Amino acid sequence: MIEVEELSKRFGKTQAVAGLSFRVEPGTITGFLGPNGAGKSTTLRSVLGLVHPDAGHATVLGVPYRELDRPLHRVGAVLEASEVHPGRSGRNHLRVQAAAAGVLRSRVEEVLALVELSAAAKRRVKGYSLGMRQRLGLATALLGDPEVLVLDEPANGLDPAGIRWLRDLLRSLAAEGRTILVSSHVLAEVAQTVDRVVIIHRGKLVQQATIAEVIASAQGSTRIRSPQAERLRELLAAAGAAVTATGDGALISDAPPERVGELSAANGVVLHELTIERATLEEVFLELTGGETTE
Amino acid sequence: MTALARSEWLKIRTVRSWWAYLAVILLLSAIAVAGEIGSAEAANRSEHGFQLGLVDTVGLAALLAIILGITIVTAEFRHGTITPAFLVAPRRERVIAAKAVVGAAVALGFALLALLVVVAIGVPWLELVGAEVRLTDGEILTRVAQTLLSAVLWALMGVAIGAVVQSQVAALVGTLLWIFLGEALIVGVLGLVDADGASAYLPFRALDAADGTGGEGLHSYWPGVAVSLGWIALLGALGTERARRRDIT
Ligand SMILES: Nc1ncnc2c1ncn2[C@@H]1O[C@H](COP(=O)(O)OP(=O)(O)OP(=O)(O)O)[C@@H](O)[C@H]1O
Ligand SMILES: [Mg+2]
Repeated sequence: MIEVEELSKRFGKTQAVAGLSFRVEPGTITGFLGPNGAGKSTTLRSVLGLVHPDAGHATVLGVPYRELDRPLHRVGAVLEASEVHPGRSGRNHLRVQAAAAGVLRSRVEEVLALVELSAAAKRRVKGYSLGMRQRLGLATALLGDPEVLVLDEPANGLDPAGIRWLRDLLRSLAAEGRTILVSSHVLAEVAQTVDRVVIIHRGKLVQQATIAEVIASAQGSTRIRSPQAERLRELLAAAGAAVTATGDGALISDAPPERVGELSAANGVVLHELTIERATLEEVFLELTGGETTE
Repeated sequence: MTALARSEWLKIRTVRSWWAYLAVILLLSAIAVAGEIGSAEAANRSEHGFQLGLVDTVGLAALLAIILGITIVTAEFRHGTITPAFLVAPRRERVIAAKAVVGAAVALGFALLALLVVVAIGVPWLELVGAEVRLTDGEILTRVAQTLLSAVLWALMGVAIGAVVQSQVAALVGTLLWIFLGEALIVGVLGLVDADGASAYLPFRALDAADGTGGEGLHSYWPGVAVSLGWIALLGALGTERARRRDIT
């Protein structure tokens, strides 16, 4: 549906994208993740024919974006929320785009209602909040009722209620069979929405997996407290598990709790606490992307 | 293409500067006509030359036309609206072409509006003071047509310059400096090296010739139009190529 192959793009000294390849399967919501400056926007803009890659290529619906006939009816995009003339009203912004795309005027009112912007449609965009601009961007993307949506950080500037609203909207759009590629630099923000993730860092692919796989890879550790901590520590070490002591006298081990429980029972060691500590998605994400930004 | 042109027309009409353009044309035309008639000797007012001069006040539409032409291209880069524009028309040359067509049409409208002011104020005034109105003379009608076409050429030049320069401030300031300073300097230098003939080929000297009013060291009308079109084609091609290649980030 969307295919990126060996894509590279350099801006002066910055290698924004470096040989990136990934696929977005039809009918899925794919999260496109990476820290600030990872090359997400550059990649999405290359997919949309706005940036000319130095090498490699990107196709949407089997062809380069530029070769799509009536592209707004096939692919909808939200890039930056600020790409609107501040002096134009929200409605007129949509009418301008609708006229160019050959979309009926009635559709403008439909998408305004869909993103809950009808009441503010008459106002000039200058006075819109960031969240309202994001909604206007989404409305623009939906004008042509496209089967593919490409969204660059659409949750930016949305409050928690707005993020939930966006999540529900994306879900319902996907339920209609659309393919959605949505970027974010916060894994948790999209974790509940997306089926798959493509994680990039410094313009390169880090991981391409289902969200379930990523969550599973958030490998847990076991926290143990015992009056016989030293004894248990030796037992665990002898069993080949890694053990470290924390400052408050507890032990952390990579052995699963079942294994720790069995060991202690077999050796008559008393346990006061046995809990699983899961790494959060954010920790996984930070680990995958080196815990730093490229900028 | 008609869809893109309709969109461009909407873009022009849906920002406030549209009303500023119309207000400036109405106001300046009215002032210019009133000034011309009011300051003329009573005996001169029936003269052919004087009434030609009245038509020439429509020439101020040309300046607004080039500002419009530059702005409809550069405002899109300035506000980032070039992104949605190129998303809906990924063959970017079509966007520039639509801007040229609509810019030319609106400039024609500007000139017609200015002409309307000239007629609406000039004719009753002249009749009131008992002067003979010659605005339908063949020569005057020719000048009217030339003035209208001139506004179209200035708008096209504006679109071409806008596409080449892309930065709004640089394009507007640069063009005005070029018109009022740059070309005058070059004409001076050409005069020093005994190449006066070449100065008629400068873009705005050519546009000057193409408004039909004539002038020292300028081409005559049709060659003036031809040289103007040559510059528009050259800058338009350059600008379109720049817009096609540019990374929109
Ligand atoms: N037009 C440009 N000129 C110069 N450098 C650029 C340009 N566009 C992007 N870059 C650089 O390319 C790199 C990747 O930028 P990009 O915008 O694609 O990252 P991103 O993943 O979208 O980041 P963010 O999360 O901050 O939006 C950055 O280092 C950025 O500074
Ligand atoms: Mg970005």
